[in-house]
Parts: sequence; structure tokens; C-alpha cells
Amino acid sequence: MNRRSDTGKLSLKIPSDIRYVKEVSSGILKWLKPRNLDDSAIFDIRLCVEEVVRNAIVHGNNNDKGLKVLIIYWLEGDHLIVEVEDEGGGFDSGKVSDPTIDENRMKLGGRGVYLVRHLMDEVKFNDKGNKVRLVKYLK
Amino acid sequence: MAVKIEEKNNLTVCYIDGEIDINTSPDIKKAFEKLIAKKVPKIVINLAKVTYVDSSGLATLVEILKNMRTYGGRMRLTNMAHKIKSLFEITKLEKLFEIIEDEAEAITTFI
Repeated sequence: MNRRSDTGKLSLKIPSDIRYVKEVSSGILKWLKPRNLDDSAIFDIRLCVEEVVRNAIVHGNNNDKGLKVLIIYWLEGDHLIVEVEDEGGGFDSGKVSDPTIDENRMKLGGRGVYLVRHLMDEVKFNDKGNKVRLVKYLK
Repeated sequence: MAVKIEEKNNLTVCYIDGEIDINTSPDIKKAFEKLIAKKVPKIVINLAKVTYVDSSGLATLVEILKNMRTYGGRMRLTNMAHKIKSLFEITKLEKLFEIIEDEAEAITTFI
């Protein structure tokens, strides 16, 4: 399932099934093992990768097992970059509601993207909203 | 993941061991449904052995709290690892939950 391109980037294409989510995060963390990251960085990477891959499966591809999620990851110096792209219609990342305001605090959903934005050093969605790029500075 | 329930000082204390995430949330909900059905008034949840929580896990804890509040029940969370506590701080859920450093303190001051 894992492929390495000439540019050193690793890619992984999974079906839209949440059973694959942990496999993706475990694969990335295993690949990062030689970096001896601290527990906090490992936690952040796992959580953010799992949140965005799950969003891609559930919200992006609407759990349609015929659609795939593409994950590409690589290192640029001390920067870990993970891109996750689904085959859905995208969403407006600017319209994600703030889960921390009083009226949203009791809501069950809406914290995933918010956490990702806090735990990663850079988070960028494409205009269509079906692809997100996460950057974590590995100190 | 496992949930162990004990009675201490007339309080219900729950120990969650493992991860609270999208995979374990259904079992955690099930374990608490029984307590909520009995309208247990005060629950202390000791999270000392919880190693990972994701947004689904946070949602599960919010849901349990919400259900308890329908009958005036109260919940306290204790012994959270620093990293997990930081998720409550980032999402401002610290304002929603009663978070107490230590289980013994949570029990003795739970009036």
C-alpha cells in the first residue's frame, strides 16, 4: 500500500473505511521512529493525522467505499509534511464553527479541525476543501 | 479499553483504562448508560490510565455529562495526564467539566 516516489515522498491510498485510520497514523509514526520524537509530538501527529483522515473518509467521501483517500507524507529538514486528499466535493474550511464559544461547547462534534489547527504548526486547505496539508516542526 | 466501576464514600468512581477514541467510544457510552439509567447523582471518572483521547472521545465525555445533567447529575474528571488535560484547555472544555487534580480530593470535596 505504501509507495515511495523519486522525490522521497511516501504515499498511501486507502479505501473510505475508518478501519484504515489507525493504520495510516501507525505507519507514519513507525517511519518517524528514528527521529526519536518526544511523547507530546507523537501524540500530536497521531491525533491530527487520524482526525484529518477520518474527516476525509466520513465527511469528504461520505463513507463511500468506492472512493479513496490519498495520503502523502515526507520530511523537509525538520518539517514533517502530511497531505490528505479525498475524492469528495470539498467543504468551506472557513465556515468551521468555533467549538469553544459558549453556544457550541455542549455540542458533540466540531472539535477535530479545531484541535488540528492548534496542534500542528501549519494547516492549509486547498480552495475546494478536499485536500489538507499539515506541517509539524520537529524540534 | 476497560471501564471499572467502584463505590467509594457513597460515590460512584469509574476508572477508564486505555484510549478514549472513535473505536472505544461505543463501549464507554454503553458502560455509562447503565449508570445514567439509574440516575446516579455523582460520578468521579479517574483518567489516570487513559493514554489517548481524540475528538470523538471528547464528544463521548460531553455526551455523558449532557445525559447526567438531564436529571441534575454531576461528573468530575480526575488524574488526567498533562497532554490530555491540554486538549480540554484548547477546546475550552475545562469550563464545562469539573476537573480535579486528584481522585481523593475530588471525592472528599464532592458536596
